[in-house]
Parts: sequence; C-alpha cells; structure tokens
Amino acid sequence: MNQIPMNQTSTIKRLITATKRVLGHANPGRYFEVFDDDTFIVSFPKSGNTWTRFLIANLLHPEEPANFGNIDRLIPESEGLTRNQLARVPRPRIMKSHEYFDARFRKVVYIVRDPRDVAVSQFHFFRKKRRIGDDHSIEQFVTRFVAGQTCDYGSWGENVASWLVARQNSPGFLLLRYEDMVARTGVELTRVASFLGVQATPDLVAQAVERSSADRMRKLEGAKATASVTQNTRQDIPFVRAAGSGGWKTDLPEKSALELETAWAPLMKWLGYGPSLVRTPAANEARIKVPAPGAPAR
Amino acid sequence: MMYGIKRTARYLLGTDIAGRQIAVRPDDTFIVSYPRSGNTWTRFLMANLLFPDQPVSFVNIERLIPDAEALSSRYMKRIPSPRVIKTHQYFDHRYPKVLYITRDPRDVVLSYYNFARKFRHIADDYPLELFVRGVVNGTLFSTAWGTWAENVGTWVAARNGRPTFLLLRYEDLMADTPAELAKAARFFGVDASPEKLSRAIENSSADRMRELEKKAGDEWVANKNRRSDIPMVGSAVAGKWKSVLPDAAVAEIESAWGNIMTQLGYDLVTRTNR
Repeated sequence: MNQIPMNQTSTIKRLITATKRVLGHANPGRYFEVFDDDTFIVSFPKSGNTWTRFLIANLLHPEEPANFGNIDRLIPESEGLTRNQLARVPRPRIMKSHEYFDARFRKVVYIVRDPRDVAVSQFHFFRKKRRIGDDHSIEQFVTRFVAGQTCDYGSWGENVASWLVARQNSPGFLLLRYEDMVARTGVELTRVASFLGVQATPDLVAQAVERSSADRMRKLEGAKATASVTQNTRQDIPFVRAAGSGGWKTDLPEKSALELETAWAPLMKWLGYGPSLVRTPAANEARIKVPAPGAPAR
Repeated sequence: MMYGIKRTARYLLGTDIAGRQIAVRPDDTFIVSYPRSGNTWTRFLMANLLFPDQPVSFVNIERLIPDAEALSSRYMKRIPSPRVIKTHQYFDHRYPKVLYITRDPRDVVLSYYNFARKFRHIADDYPLELFVRGVVNGTLFSTAWGTWAENVGTWVAARNGRPTFLLLRYEDLMADTPAELAKAARFFGVDASPEKLSRAIENSSADRMRELEKKAGDEWVANKNRRSDIPMVGSAVAGKWKSVLPDAAVAEIESAWGNIMTQLGYDLVTRTNR
C-alpha cells in the first residue's frame, strides 16, 4: 500500500483524538466495550427511558432516592461516558442506551412508546435543547422525524423494528410499552424486577413508583437539574413534560399524524398503536415488514 | 490510566480496520450479507458490471469493491466516491443505500462449516451438529455480525420496501442470474444491456472464480493466513443441505429462525409446535 500524506489539520485532529484515547478521556460513543453481564435499558429517545431509569434505580437503591444529580451514577448512560468513567462503573452494570439493535447487548429492557407521542415529545425536547428554534414548525419536524433525520439512533421504526425482529422471543429481552407503564406502573415494574432477578416486595415496588412519579420528578428537576439529559438546556421548557400518553391527539396536526401512521402502519398496529384517521392503503402495509414477531405482544 | 496503545497507534497511522466504525459517505452503496451468502459472487458480478474494462480478479477486487472489514480506515478513505463497499454488518442506520443478499440458512451453516475449518476456527473433526448449535445460539463466533436471523432480520425489518434497499436471494440469483443482476443494475443506476449482463455473468461464473482463486487467491487479503487446501469459492449450489445436513441440525435452525425463513420464502421441513 503506498502511503498518501494526510493533510495537516486531519493529522492534528487525529493526534488530539489519539492522545485522548490513550488517556481514556475519549468518549467511545456507540463503540464502547460491552460485557456479557451488562444489562441495558434501551429505547428510542423520548420514550420514557429516564422515567424507567428512575424506577429501576429507586428499586435497586432504596437507600438512595434517585434524583437528577445522582441518576447518571446509579444508571449511567453508556454513550455519554469516557472510557475512564466507563471503567469505574461497578459490574454487573445496568446502563441506559438509545441504540438501535446492537448484537453485543445480551440483556435488554426495551421501552416502546406510540411514535405520535414520541414525535411531539422530541419536538419540545429539541426546542429545549435549542436544536430547533421557536419558528420551526411541528409539521417540518415530523417529516424529518419519519425520515430518521432528527437524531443518530435510526428512525423510530428502524430502532423499534431492529430490536423486535432480532430479540422478540429471546429470554434476554423484555419489551415494555410506555402506555402500559403509565396505566399500571407497579405491575410493569414488578415484571422488570423479575427480569432483572431482583427481589421486589410490593412495598418496595410501591416506594419506587412513588419516588419516580411525574410530580416528584418535576420537583426534582426544579431542585437540581444537572443530569446529562438536562445540561445546558432552556429552563423555560421542562424535561419532565406531559408524562402521559395520547397527548398527540391534541398536539399533533392531522397531516403529521397521517405521515407517521403511513410510514409505520404495520409496526404500530402490531404494537397496539391503532391508526386514528388513516385508511392505510394496502401498498403502505408492505413498506416495513417485521418478519419475526409471530403473535401479537398482548 | 493508559488504554490500547497499539490500537491507538494504529488509529493514528490510519491502519486500524475500518469495520463497523467506517466513516460513511452519503453517496456510498453497500453490498451486505451474512457471511457465506454469496457476497463475493455478487461483488464479482457487480464489479464486472461497473468496471467492464478491468477484468475482475482476487487481486483487484479490494480496489473495485473494497471489504470494509478487511481493510484499514486509511485505505477506505482513499477509495474515490461514489464507493461500493462490501460488509457483513447487521443493521447500521448510517448506510444510505444497501444491496442485501440473503441465503437459506441451512446452506449457510454448511458453507460456514467448511469456511470455519479454512479459517482454523475449528478442527477438521469438529462435529457438524455442535457447529450448527454454536452458530444458531451465536456462541461460536463473536457478536460482530450478529446471528443469521439478527443480521437478515434487522436489515429487512428496518429497510425492506424502501427505494434505497434491494433484497436479493442467493437462490434466485442462482436460478435466474440475468434477471436478478438486471435488478441490481437498475438499483445501482448502471446501464445493463443483455450483452453486458451476460459478459459480467460469464466473468463471475463459479468455474472462473475457482480458476482465479487458484491463480491469485493467496494474494487476496481475505485468504491471508488461511488454509489453502480449502477454497474460498465453495460448491456454489443451492439446496445442498437437503442431502448433507442432519435432521436434528435442520430442526434446530428452523425452530430458532423459522419465522424469518418463512418470510423470506425458505420453506420449513420440520413441524414445530411453536
């Protein structure tokens, strides 16, 4: 192989990155080291991941109620940490992730949420993060959302479908619907506990649910909003927002709901997120085919 | 704390393997499959079609359609756009355009068995049943490519039906090469007259590829440090499993992956009660 000289800026950039890497200060992002005994709490962004983190943290650490100051230590965010920080997380690790299917993740709690609510939530979150201005319309946003251009975790459909098709029937995979968690938090948290192999008395579950309620999380956010998810963001838009399901029915323009439903009709239907206004043409039914799931989730 | 000096030095020199961390360009096209599914054949077909003035061989294939999992990130960087790249990765949302080849997993494991011997992953007397179990459970190899079902399933579930995704079955490619290659040509946006197609097919026939491998296979990056008594180009047939694969192994594959197999048109022969 004949060597081609690289231009100087690229060499300097590489030197800086290399130094950071050797010292462990680099953030390996998607390519961090995974261990077989890791457990991951995975979801597309804005699908109830932080709430689930609070629930699990409060269940596992009754002596230390979770707040926005300690949550990144109790259940760290795998992609947000440098190699040094990752090395300090005690094993077995329980970590948060937004990745689409990653074959190295052996044990996964996957949370799925109605994409119509997810889109509305991400729209407001991106305003909070100043990634979009107040003049950015939700219609514009939803078009980019459907194309998978709003974040680096694939589109909602790619993220959800890739996990479901690969792991749906595997014993190392637990599927949670955000809507079920809202409707019966204790029951779903008990399922999580048995999946994690944790002893969970009804009292402990009730305490964890109480300590992770939307009201309490709003209070905690007001008191100490320094978790990685809220850093350097607009304070006039809260991180813990509606915390409910079905908000899209009032917040989402009909055109945008239609766009979402057309893109992911079979997947949404399979997950129990029925179409509202769309009479889906047959051609669209075939757009995303999820081969694996044999029977409906519930 | 000091980490991976060697790996970092490789990164610094650009000699680290591109692999899953390859820097993707918006005009890249990927030829993707699980290993042993006809990827190299498809690469030869496409290379012969895209570069008709250069006879494709194991010597120049890595320049024409490079293998991101065998080559360095610097090498990949030097390939001019638009690149056509081969990988075995499961779903990666950054890939803008993907030609995905799938093959009956019952044939895939058979082919893989020979290949694993070639790679010295297993000894010659390693029992086939044990091998199949290891492949089905994903315990025999690293998770780099996922299991067959994870690899195929994630791509098909995420992308099938999009204009930027073309799914080809190895079996169809075998049965009617001109028709399937014409689909691929349209997908790549290349002019494909019947003459051009048949020349590409002729230049990529199993016999010719065997000849090319004999001639210069040892210069090929994918054959480096491998046993040369087992060829890379296998038997190149579909349905061999029917006579060779033990019933128990067939049942194991079908019970694990039957769902996706059925969706792809690979009929099951074992009755499962799932």
